[in-house]
Amino acid sequence: MSTSTLDAYISSINTIATAEGVLPQVEAEFSAVVRAIDENESLRSKLTDELLPIAVRQSIVEQLLDGKGHRITAQSLALVIGAGHARDLRTISEKISAGVAAGQGRQVAEVRSAVALSEDQQARLSAALAKATGSEVNLKVIVDPSVVGGIVATVGDKVIDGSVRHSLDQLKSRL
Amino acid sequence: MNSLISVLIANEGEALTYETHSWLLPETAEIIYGGLASVLVIGALIKVAGPMIKKSLAARTERIQNELESARATKSAAEAEATRIRTALGDINGERSRLLAEADAQAASVIADGRARVATEMAETEAKAMADIAAASGRVQDELRAEIKRLSAIAIERVVAQSMDDKARQDLIEGFISKVGAAR
Repeated sequence: MSTSTLDAYISSINTIATAEGVLPQVEAEFSAVVRAIDENESLRSKLTDELLPIAVRQSIVEQLLDGKGHRITAQSLALVIGAGHARDLRTISEKISAGVAAGQGRQVAEVRSAVALSEDQQARLSAALAKATGSEVNLKVIVDPSVVGGIVATVGDKVIDGSVRHSLDQLKSRL
Repeated sequence: MNSLISVLIANEGEALTYETHSWLLPETAEIIYGGLASVLVIGALIKVAGPMIKKSLAARTERIQNELESARATKSAAEAEATRIRTALGDINGERSRLLAEADAQAASVIADGRARVATEMAETEAKAMADIAAASGRVQDELRAEIKRLSAIAIERVVAQSMDDKARQDLIEGFISKVGAAR
């Protein structure tokens, strides 16, 4: 998909969600669905399979939301997948998140951890990252067992890697 | 002759008594006639048979001379042939000696070349074998090192993963938050 087309989709979703006053919720749900797709190879291949009818691919996303998501989220996902742009869901999600954060004068901080973070930990981590980057951040926590332990935080182009995976990789390279 | 005949006639019918003047020599007339006859015969013989005998002797002499010449020539030829054979034999012996010497020299050269080549090939083979051994050794060491690294990495990862309980994970998260918060 070209950048202008991608921007058009992002702008449309932002505009509709903003008009409905549910942009943060749509952004969060959109991100959650995209993470779920990213983590599941079978799901990703089904959604990007051009031979699979669009209705079937859209129903897969509806099953993922399980009727709990906002209708704008469901319709936005159905729109992108129906147009055959399932491969661009991740980019669209990232740009929506970045747009939401920018609208709040913040940056998106993608945080990967082997275990879920408590509310308190998320708050303290947000504060720490804000202090480290000089900008308030919207945390997007991803539970990733491959991290093994610790946290990998990505804010814009900056990566702060305090994961056990990183230490193990360094150890391997030293070996 | 007439006296002899008259004597013979006169004495016919009576016993012939005859007495010679010498018991050894004949009558003088016999000597004279016999001598003349002998001279005539000898002269005739000399006159008629002499040239023939002389010619025959000359021919015989010439034949013998020719035979002698022929024998001499044959002898000379035989001696020349013998000399040639002796020379040839000498040449053959010399040639044989030369060929043997040449063959010995060539054999010595071939042996020397062969030894040198074998020595060179052995040195090259040995060097190649040593290089192959060194390369194989290095390769095996590299492979062993890589395998040890791989196994060490797996072992470390497993040990770390097994030792990574909830408390350890929480400690790491807290450590990360503290570290990031203290960064600026």
